[in-house]
Amino acid sequence: MSSLPVALRIALRELRAGIRGFRIFIACLALGVAAIAAVGALSASVVESLERDGQAILGGDAEFRLLHREAADGQVEAMQAAGQISFSRQMRGMVRLENVPDQGTLVEVKAVDNAYPLYGAITLNQNISLTDALAPRDGIYGALVDPNLLTRLTAEVGDKVRLGDALLEIRGTIAREPDRVTSVFTLGPRLMIHGDALETTGLIQPGSLVRNYYRVRLNDGVDRGLWLDGMRDDFTDAGWRIRTTEDAAPRVTRFVDRLGLFLTLVGLTILLVGGIGVSNAVRSHLESRIGSIAVLKCVGATSSVIFRAYLIQVMLIALLGTAIGLLLGAFSPLLFARALEAALPTDIPFGFHLLPMVQATAFGLLTALVFALWPLGRVGVIPGAALFRNLVAPTAGRPRGGVLITLAIAATALVALAVLGASRPGFAIAFVIGSVAAMMAFRYCALGVMKLAARVNPGRDAGLRLALANMHRPGAATPAVIMSLGLGLAVLVAIGQIEGNLRQQVDQELPNEAPAFFFIDIQRDQIDGFEAAVRKVEGAGEIERTATLRGMIVGVNGRPASEIAADPDQAWVLQGDRSITYAARPAPDANIVAGEWWDADYRGEPLVSFEADAAKGIGLNVGDQITVNILGRKITAKVANLRDVDWGTLRLNFVMVFSPGVLDGAPYTYIATAKATPAAEDGIERAVISEYPNISAIRIRDALDLVKVMLGNIALAVRSTAGLTLLAGALVLAGAVAAGHRRRIYDAVVLKVLGATRGDILRAFLIEYGLLGLAAGLIAIGVGSLTGWAVMTQVMNTGFTFQPLLALLTALLCIAVTLAFGFGGAWNALGKKAAPLLRNE
Amino acid sequence: MGAESREVNILRGIDLQVARGEAVGIVGPSGSGKTSMLMVIAGLERATSGQVAVAGTSLDGLSEDQLALFRRQHVGIVFQAFHLIPTMTALENVAIPLELAGHDDAFARAERELDAVGLSHRLGHYPGQLSGGEQQRTALARAFAIEPDILLADEPTGNLDGETGQQIVDLMFRLRNERGATLMLITHDPKLAAKCDRTLTLADGRIVSEKLQAVA
Repeated sequence: MSSLPVALRIALRELRAGIRGFRIFIACLALGVAAIAAVGALSASVVESLERDGQAILGGDAEFRLLHREAADGQVEAMQAAGQISFSRQMRGMVRLENVPDQGTLVEVKAVDNAYPLYGAITLNQNISLTDALAPRDGIYGALVDPNLLTRLTAEVGDKVRLGDALLEIRGTIAREPDRVTSVFTLGPRLMIHGDALETTGLIQPGSLVRNYYRVRLNDGVDRGLWLDGMRDDFTDAGWRIRTTEDAAPRVTRFVDRLGLFLTLVGLTILLVGGIGVSNAVRSHLESRIGSIAVLKCVGATSSVIFRAYLIQVMLIALLGTAIGLLLGAFSPLLFARALEAALPTDIPFGFHLLPMVQATAFGLLTALVFALWPLGRVGVIPGAALFRNLVAPTAGRPRGGVLITLAIAATALVALAVLGASRPGFAIAFVIGSVAAMMAFRYCALGVMKLAARVNPGRDAGLRLALANMHRPGAATPAVIMSLGLGLAVLVAIGQIEGNLRQQVDQELPNEAPAFFFIDIQRDQIDGFEAAVRKVEGAGEIERTATLRGMIVGVNGRPASEIAADPDQAWVLQGDRSITYAARPAPDANIVAGEWWDADYRGEPLVSFEADAAKGIGLNVGDQITVNILGRKITAKVANLRDVDWGTLRLNFVMVFSPGVLDGAPYTYIATAKATPAAEDGIERAVISEYPNISAIRIRDALDLVKVMLGNIALAVRSTAGLTLLAGALVLAGAVAAGHRRRIYDAVVLKVLGATRGDILRAFLIEYGLLGLAAGLIAIGVGSLTGWAVMTQVMNTGFTFQPLLALLTALLCIAVTLAFGFGGAWNALGKKAAPLLRNE
Repeated sequence: MGAESREVNILRGIDLQVARGEAVGIVGPSGSGKTSMLMVIAGLERATSGQVAVAGTSLDGLSEDQLALFRRQHVGIVFQAFHLIPTMTALENVAIPLELAGHDDAFARAERELDAVGLSHRLGHYPGQLSGGEQQRTALARAFAIEPDILLADEPTGNLDGETGQQIVDLMFRLRNERGATLMLITHDPKLAAKCDRTLTLADGRIVSEKLQAVA
């Protein structure tokens, strides 16, 4: 007969004692599992709704996007043959109130045709049809705007505005645009007009940055895949970007994906912190069961039967904790979906998603297993002889080989689950290595603190002596407190340091060096006049200008760009169109890291200078060939050199800089930056807008404000999740304090018998917890700051400055939390009467 | 035999042979090595040198698990503090060694054993719901459940009042006589020791005297 049924029976009988000792265990697991399940359920819901609304979000079954230019007649005819087309164009522009012509506001212009929208419906805040809203009335076209624009312009519905050369009447405000994928970062509010109206603005000029969208609603019976294959084959040089309903909102998907990964890792950190709670709970449970275990040994139970019995018991309890977590996690989308919907192009339905639940369950159970195995493995060490003697020393020693192998397998499975389930395995691997390193660091630091406590001479201070002794005696709470609280705090410190650094970079570094304006869509014949107009304004500073147009990388060394396996961090280089330029000489601050710049009078075969990180990400080296589609023309150029670019300076920087002559014939426009004193900004904008209504001015200050708001929102979300990690740490701490409670009461009683006052005892306990908190805080600052430094310098490739105030606050928080718990425990212990306890003992 | 951290010789030069079915009483002051000797016989502690053979099995060189299997087959133990498992009923406490030994009729046998100690009405009670005497009777039932070759008792009446203790002693000797098990009994009570076939007196880890009783 296998020993498993006996083990199971013993486990079930042991559970009759209740799960009191496992409350922290259950809470820790439930918290971590809930976090992971919630993140999984929420991202699954978002992805599902994006899929469901794919047609409306895309605005068709397929979308062809062309930059600068329209599709050729043959191409349009091929689309029309397959279904209905809607043609829309988008660009940036400056809109001005009719009677205030020199004050503009940057808008995202969208010009639509009569077929718009092919799927879904636009919702307006006024009772007016889309056709009526955009149609000309008395020779003036109508416009629909984002309500924000009215606020910015201090205008109302019915007012007239100018866009370029055209006069438009605001006929209503847009409540919901079916195909608008709210990007996290948009500079201007929406202004929607009819395509015919756009023609009258004069904004469409050679090289203007206009994006032309052809959306197709396919006829019944047309196989989209086959048809698109045909389109690609028939128009190999079209240079369009094709999108289908599956990737209708790639940025949102990517954002959800990244945020999901990040939050899953936070959830995993909670589980790791909780794991320490699991470990502590199992250890103290086993200590309380020494008697039963010894009896079992005396009546002939082998170590493996006992091990299995307690493993089953622990895993049954883990199942309970995991189930509670799943329940919380599964329903949390109800709480958070509404908040997310504001930022998404679709509403999020509440639904059950199996996969994230299975994943969260696996995380919960595996974590419980990994952290329970070590203490469980030591049940074999508990001797049956314990029954004959009052054995109270905590069990120590290394579990046996079989347990260690099981532990290794479970840990590997946990790591594999974290890594294979992640959309970016490299990131997950770094996380795993980092967290293991952090846990080891905390463990060794805790041992160091214990050694130090043993060495320090407390002098004649009895309270200090008692506190130090409590920190280093066998079975002291020191490792548990330092690891649990420290790990949670380290996450908080790391996030605080990263956020503080980012904020500092946005707040402090930029305004000194950064230009005040970006100007786009400056025509070639306007550039000199534009410069002169800006310079005339008092307070205007240095102007930097450069010719530019957009192009898309379509091939690397003869291979199609779609087949290149790019580093996910740099994949953007291949995914969309990039601004490109040409130059005879390198920029003064250019940092060429490989190859050489061409001669200033070079006129040979096309050469390109490539940004170094992007080149590395797509596997490009000096001497390689890249092919770029510029306005339908494919240009193949040899990579002459690689440049390091610090994007943080906000100077005009490009991934690709071509050698002179390559773009000569292309209809490029200019972009420019201008530095200015804050007081001069309004004047500069007025000067440019009144003279050149087609040029769009982007105020850096506004853009940075947007970044700050964005950063603030993300930071809030991130900090809340990090707060959960700390909560898990506090739970574990509470568990550790509770586990030592019996001993504490006993200590307090004996000390009282020996003449210690309540004050003496309280002081000793507070010194102990204060020192523990200080130690945990200091180590957390070290580990957290190191993590922050690594993220800033290695992942984000930017600088790092230690934020001392944040660190100090963290240390204080840590001491406060431990003191609170220590005080709570001590106060309770002090209340116990001495006599009954001594009699029992 | 040595203790863990520093080698202290607890038992020295013990040379003892106990015949099958014999009852041996062990007396001696605290720290004389009585309990240690019992633990060595039960396979719960190992002798650092010398040989131990119990019920035909040499305990030298057996692993932890082999010792557990040995106890399962041959040894019943009764403690001063009863040591029942608090989360198990009386019936389950008695059945557990049988379950561990893989007996399919563990519960039926356990019930018979409890009946034999007069507790057939207490099967479903937990240790916390039993009196001291009842707990020790349950412990006796547990010890005899596996039909042990040898019963080890460490001051089985130490936690009981005089009258209850006497009942337990009578019960223990009655069961031993019925089953023919060897008995090794630690006690501070000379009268109790006198009920055994032989009394050993331990002091400082040695057997300092040995007295054969005139068997009644």
